[in-house]
Amino acid sequence: MPSLKEITQKLNLEVVSSASLVDRPVTGGYASDLLSCAMKGAQKDYLWVTLQSHLNVVAVASLLNLAGVIITEGSQPDGETITRAEKEGVVLLVTPKTTFTVVGDLTLLGVKGDS
Amino acid sequence: MEIEIVNLREIVGIVRGTFLTKQPQLDLEISSCGASDLMSDVLSFMKPGSLLLTGLVHPQSVRTAEMADIAAIVFVRGKTPGSEVIGLGNELGIPLIASPYGMYEICGRLYKAGLPPAMK
Amino acid sequence: MAQVIKFTKIQELIYELPIERVMKKDVIKVSPDASMKELKEILRINRISGVPVLEEERLVGIISIEDLIKALVEGDIQAPVRKRMTTRMITVLENESVVEAVKKFAQYKVGRLLVVNEQGLLRGILTGGDITRGLLEAISLDYHAEEISRYRAKHIFEDIVSDQTSLILRYKVKARDFKRGGSASSKVKRALDRLGAVPEVIRRVAISTYEAEMNLIIHAEGGGELIAEMQPDVIRITAIDHGPGIPDMDQAMSPGFSTAPNWIRELGFGAGMGLTNIKKSADSMKLESTMGVGTQMEIVIYLRPEVREESNLNHGSGVEGSCRP
Repeated sequence: MPSLKEITQKLNLEVVSSASLVDRPVTGGYASDLLSCAMKGAQKDYLWVTLQSHLNVVAVASLLNLAGVIITEGSQPDGETITRAEKEGVVLLVTPKTTFTVVGDLTLLGVKGDS
Repeated sequence: MEIEIVNLREIVGIVRGTFLTKQPQLDLEISSCGASDLMSDVLSFMKPGSLLLTGLVHPQSVRTAEMADIAAIVFVRGKTPGSEVIGLGNELGIPLIASPYGMYEICGRLYKAGLPPAMK
Repeated sequence: MAQVIKFTKIQELIYELPIERVMKKDVIKVSPDASMKELKEILRINRISGVPVLEEERLVGIISIEDLIKALVEGDIQAPVRKRMTTRMITVLENESVVEAVKKFAQYKVGRLLVVNEQGLLRGILTGGDITRGLLEAISLDYHAEEISRYRAKHIFEDIVSDQTSLILRYKVKARDFKRGGSASSKVKRALDRLGAVPEVIRRVAISTYEAEMNLIIHAEGGGELIAEMQPDVIRITAIDHGPGIPDMDQAMSPGFSTAPNWIRELGFGAGMGLTNIKKSADSMKLESTMGVGTQMEIVIYLRPEVREESNLNHGSGVEGSCRP
């Protein structure tokens, strides 16, 4: 599977926090906007795709040690969220595309989800 | 990747889905697809006639679909909604489908099948 | 969707359509005293294959081309119709549904059925082709019927005379009532559809009303009221609650800002896009709030683009919000 850095380049994602940590492995992908579902389903080094851009997203990403979070539809996390992400070493990526499209692109790059 | 119009029969095959509502409407044509659990977002961004993929098994998913003129809903991750949700789907004539796959998996499959995104 | 509707309509109609709606009423008949030779001319000129036999007004038999051929073969062409006709007649009642006719066609394998009334008088003739034609006409009539009731509803504003007529719909919204959330908006949507608004306008109203309703459910401590005032050119949606009020209006209006607690986010709401969605869909939005007293939101959507432009010139469009601490 491609690394987070390759994915960021190939999909033209905007890195909004922890840019120095972008070169890390990705072992799978997960999509959901409900935190409780993400807590159950997203695994270590997974890439989480969601529309949510608030503080709790950082908390979940940090807790589960995810590779990063792709925030879709151009939602911009606020200052507080970015600061927290930097502090926790969470890579936040933003894209104007929809969750459906991003997951499609990731799948074509070889990033698999759980069946 | 070609853009095709896919119908509900094909979608149900691709996602290994089961119909929860009474009238299957298998020939219903679906022009685009969106995946979201946030109903406000669905409301503002999804095109009429599209397919909604969601993990939110709640009457609000069906109500939002009604407001946004969404054609059908696939509930992901094997979640089955209660009778209230199914009743609402029947009442409003919106086909509800349950799929055992996760949202990530379903997005990948439908994207590869050629379904375009539902962004307005 | 349209395809599915047509198909079930046909099934419905076969059971609902009375035979008298589809039968041929102008029936060509022959007297029992006419000769088979005269019958031949009747059949030839009208290009039909069978005729009922009527004595005065009374139905006494039926005679067909087969009978004519038999008469010819037996050299009996001068015989009166009465001698060669069939007296066993397959009939259906005019007020029975078409399905009865379909059954009889299958059972007796005849080409046509005689339609009679309760007294046994001939009222018409029915063939398979008549049924098909009748069904198709009835379906298109049905579609017209829908349009007609919309037309009627729309004319409420024209038929009832006043200086300004409004239709006001009011709904009570309960706090935290997530299961029923959206039911008021759904009713407003349906009402607008019946009143003949265009789909794009209906959508915008539906979205704004829904977001307003969800706001009441999520934030209003005691719930609130949703009022939809419809006039021919404009619709005004007002959402009123009695607390707690909005402390910071600018913050409230910025997209993504939300004061919704986590458990509400887990239900898929509270993403902070509500007011933004309303701003996008409405022509104007006014929000007023007083802490400890309540909040009132007024949304305006013009039903016709020309009216919107006029109004913009006169009042200026946009969004206002004011807060009182």
